[in-house]
Amino acid sequence: MLLADIVFVIIVLITMAGATMTVLSGSLIYALMGLIATMFGIAGLYIYLSAPFIAMMQILIYVGAISILIAFAIMLAGPMFKRPKEWTKPIKFISGVITALITFILFISVIMRAEWKGLKAEPVKTTTSDLGRALFDKFMLPFELISLLIVISIIGAIMKALYSRKER
Amino acid sequence: MTGYLLNNFNIYMFVALFLMCCGILGIVYRRTLIAMLISVELIMNGAGLNFVVINRFLYPERVNGQVFTLFIMGIAAAEAAIALAIIILIFRRFKKIEADTLKEMKD
Repeated sequence: MLLADIVFVIIVLITMAGATMTVLSGSLIYALMGLIATMFGIAGLYIYLSAPFIAMMQILIYVGAISILIAFAIMLAGPMFKRPKEWTKPIKFISGVITALITFILFISVIMRAEWKGLKAEPVKTTTSDLGRALFDKFMLPFELISLLIVISIIGAIMKALYSRKER
Repeated sequence: MTGYLLNNFNIYMFVALFLMCCGILGIVYRRTLIAMLISVELIMNGAGLNFVVINRFLYPERVNGQVFTLFIMGIAAAEAAIALAIIILIFRRFKKIEADTLKEMKD
């Protein structure tokens, strides 16, 4: 077993443990910590998939922006120690596990049964300049639409905050 | 890199599927709205991982999957901004963010 394999197994375990902690922990802060661990694990998987630019963007956007945003929302939403624990009724847990298991079995049977033609083991080097060329050449319109969507969503969030303050 | 495990297609797909199942369990099970939003983020991460995996193993000479993963990240950022603004508004008005206590419009 190579060293790269061992590191890969560790990264996969970090990802899955972070996802489990996100779902099952009793406090929102712990759930956020699990989410950050999951993001770092997925960034490592992107590096193994020979997509280093996506890995950097994953760390920059998810860990740097979205997690901080969620942390601010958690801190704004009142003192957390007065809140009840996150665990709801056991019947909800059982129904959620059943739903997740049905989804898991369905998709794992699809993945195992499908014939993936032409699986290539050797990675082809794709550089960041290829990615930028594709973004500004073939995917020009979706790229601009995404930027418009982000601008509109930020303006909407600010307007909501302003109007609610005026109502008070 | 010539490892055995790290070139296995099924392991990556299994991780993405595990993230999606965790997200579904979280949406059903968690109490507060912020935790549900975190679960949605998990599902979106699984989708992005899936795109990059299929791009790497089936069409490694193109970059379309990586571009779509970037789009997913942008949409997730916009969605998180809007959803957190709405959650903060709900908290200011009702002083609660538990999903089962917000029943003013029920019945």
